Amino acid sequence: MGDLSISALLIRFILGGAAVVVSTLVARNLGEKAGGIFAAFPAVYLAALLTVGLDFSGDELVAHSILLSKGAIVGMGINIMVAILAGYLLPRQGWKRGLLQAMGFWLVVSMAVVMITTYS
Amino acid sequence: MYKDLLIRFILGGAAVMVSYLITVISPWKILAGIFAAFPAVMITAVLMVGIASGSKNAAKIANGSVFGMIGGVVCVATVWTVLQVRGNWTLSIVLGLLFWLGSSIIVSSFRDKLKNGRRNILRPNVLIRHK
Repeated sequence: MGDLSISALLIRFILGGAAVVVSTLVARNLGEKAGGIFAAFPAVYLAALLTVGLDFSGDELVAHSILLSKGAIVGMGINIMVAILAGYLLPRQGWKRGLLQAMGFWLVVSMAVVMITTYS
Repeated sequence: MYKDLLIRFILGGAAVMVSYLITVISPWKILAGIFAAFPAVMITAVLMVGIASGSKNAAKIANGSVFGMIGGVVCVATVWTVLQVRGNWTLSIVLGLLFWLGSSIIVSSFRDKLKNGRRNILRPNVLIRHK
């Protein structure tokens, strides 16, 4: 996977964007209960996982997918913390500032995890 | 509505693209996975509700999204486990989707029960106040 190409980036941008939009449209057309469930469809993760299949096969595909999933499970844990923090901050700081601070927290915690897992 | 879909498209597309970019150029491989779990849907939903109806309702969306994220964790954990145990990529995705759906239905039912429970607790208080 050493080479980086514009077309590979573009394919991933379109697939990721389309996955999120399609899951949103499905969620809106399914009614309140089923729609609520599909609104949280992990579209970005699945799109990223499927695009790993574009570059690898066999054991390499499995190894890269495990690596991606390992990061994603950490990422989803961070997301839960971010959502709880956003729920706390938004009414107190206003939605603009609150959302910005919550995203700042996402970035800081993500980088801390990267540093801890890489250099410890 | 189109503005909402456009923001979702850009955030979702950018997250997958950055995840790939990190895999290729960065030594921090775990970061690719973190970006693959980027909360694009939650951010857009909070943003759009914030613009349309203010901070309190946007906070409700953020709180509500915690329940939805549990299904995401189950999905990724299933894919990871199946890949480790069986090494079958297609099976891992199929089971990941099935477990996501199952866990999301359970969490959604639990959430409904929690909401109804709260309503039943609040109702007697309202009646007492009126008396």
